[in-house]
Amino acid sequence: MPQFFSNKRLILLLVGMIFLVALISFSLRDRNHASLPEQLIKDVVGFGQSMFSKPTQYITGVFDNVESLLNTYDENKRLKVRLEDYVTLQASVNDLRLENDELRKIVEKEEDLRDYNPIQSTVIARNPDQWEEKIIIDKGEIHGIEINMAVMTAQGLIGKVILTTPYTSTVELLSTQNPNYRVSAVIAEGKEVFGLIEGYDDKRKELILKRIDSEYEVKVGQKVTTSGLGGIFPKGILIGEVTEVTTDDYGLTKLAYVKPAASFSILDHVIISKRTITPVDGTDGENTEADLKKGEGDGS
Amino acid sequence: MIRILVIAISVLLFYLEPIFGLFSPIELNNDFYVLVPRFLIIYLIFVAIYYDRKRAMLYGLLFGLLYDVFFIDIIGLYSFIYPLMCLVASFTVKYIHQHLIVSTILTLLLVATVELLLFLFYTFIGIKTMTFTYFYQHNLIPTMMANVVFLLMFGWAFKYILLNRFNQRALLLQK
Repeated sequence: MPQFFSNKRLILLLVGMIFLVALISFSLRDRNHASLPEQLIKDVVGFGQSMFSKPTQYITGVFDNVESLLNTYDENKRLKVRLEDYVTLQASVNDLRLENDELRKIVEKEEDLRDYNPIQSTVIARNPDQWEEKIIIDKGEIHGIEINMAVMTAQGLIGKVILTTPYTSTVELLSTQNPNYRVSAVIAEGKEVFGLIEGYDDKRKELILKRIDSEYEVKVGQKVTTSGLGGIFPKGILIGEVTEVTTDDYGLTKLAYVKPAASFSILDHVIISKRTITPVDGTDGENTEADLKKGEGDGS
Repeated sequence: MIRILVIAISVLLFYLEPIFGLFSPIELNNDFYVLVPRFLIIYLIFVAIYYDRKRAMLYGLLFGLLYDVFFIDIIGLYSFIYPLMCLVASFTVKYIHQHLIVSTILTLLLVATVELLLFLFYTFIGIKTMTFTYFYQHNLIPTMMANVVFLLMFGWAFKYILLNRFNQRALLLQK
């Protein structure tokens, strides 16, 4: 094809390639902060996207309702069995909550790591090419969303906010393979056992809980929750259940596989938790709080 | 009317892709299969084949850029791949017959190329570590199956609309 590679075109092609590589490396370096034009595009596209996704979710909601109507009889039977347990559980929860409040008053400690303000939000898009585990939600800075806030569904923790614009934000799911993604977790049955959620096993579809002190015993089936000690997430959000316990590569600490409580596959409504205690420097996020304040974290 | 339709369809497909993306990954026998909707690039390749190469590349650049900024935060990935695919399609179609079946097969090959290029890119920058066989079984095959269904349903309609528009413009140029 002699025509195709004429001089002018060849130069254009080369310049294009150089420009492309420069653009890709530029945007790869600083992915946690959206520049002004980027924010503008995100907001405009996000607005259009929510126009499309909200009616779709309404329609799928109707189908879900029909489906749950068909299962009503079976569910009702099972729920009746549980109902009696539930009443006693509720009574003891109320009792404990009251007692907790009173004790707090006595020691004059008002704030709690568990307290958070929930912000309800709708998922407007999931990254369609799915090379990265990201979803986009319809609440942004104006609604009080900030980077590194915990995102969960009714079942449990699903991820954290990594990027915000005035009207949308991007959430990275726990099932990411990003090595900088850490969540400080605790197994609170009997004795509190601390660890860090670091990484996701793609084959087993399970999270990996690392750095558990080998003195403590961890059993299969125990529940893992956020510890709140990472500095950013509130305490007590369910992450999942331990399925296997082994030692880590160096044999110094224990490692547990955790089956996530929330499903990552079909997400529509999520809750973003804004912690009431001031967040501090921590491991829940990729950036430290100091970076956030400056607004120029380098993502390491 | 039909003039607006050409761009309206691409806007519609651009917004529909992530909605279909919400249904994926699909879980079958404890294995997850990723179906990636590639509606927009399928349509743009049809535009390149049946209507206008330059127009297709322009749309590819525009929507690719929007896609880059909105979803993946790496500018220059889709905004390069989309126009490239349109270019390849329009060059190939000069040497082969413009029958619907031929262009369907060509489009599918190019969609597979897009997936492959993205796989190479993401393994190269190290965001995702995935073996080729895993990618082939869990991403490429399900994605291609989903897109074949889409193409068989709407391919003829795209051809009909775009050829109509092409003829309309040819008539205008004659006057």
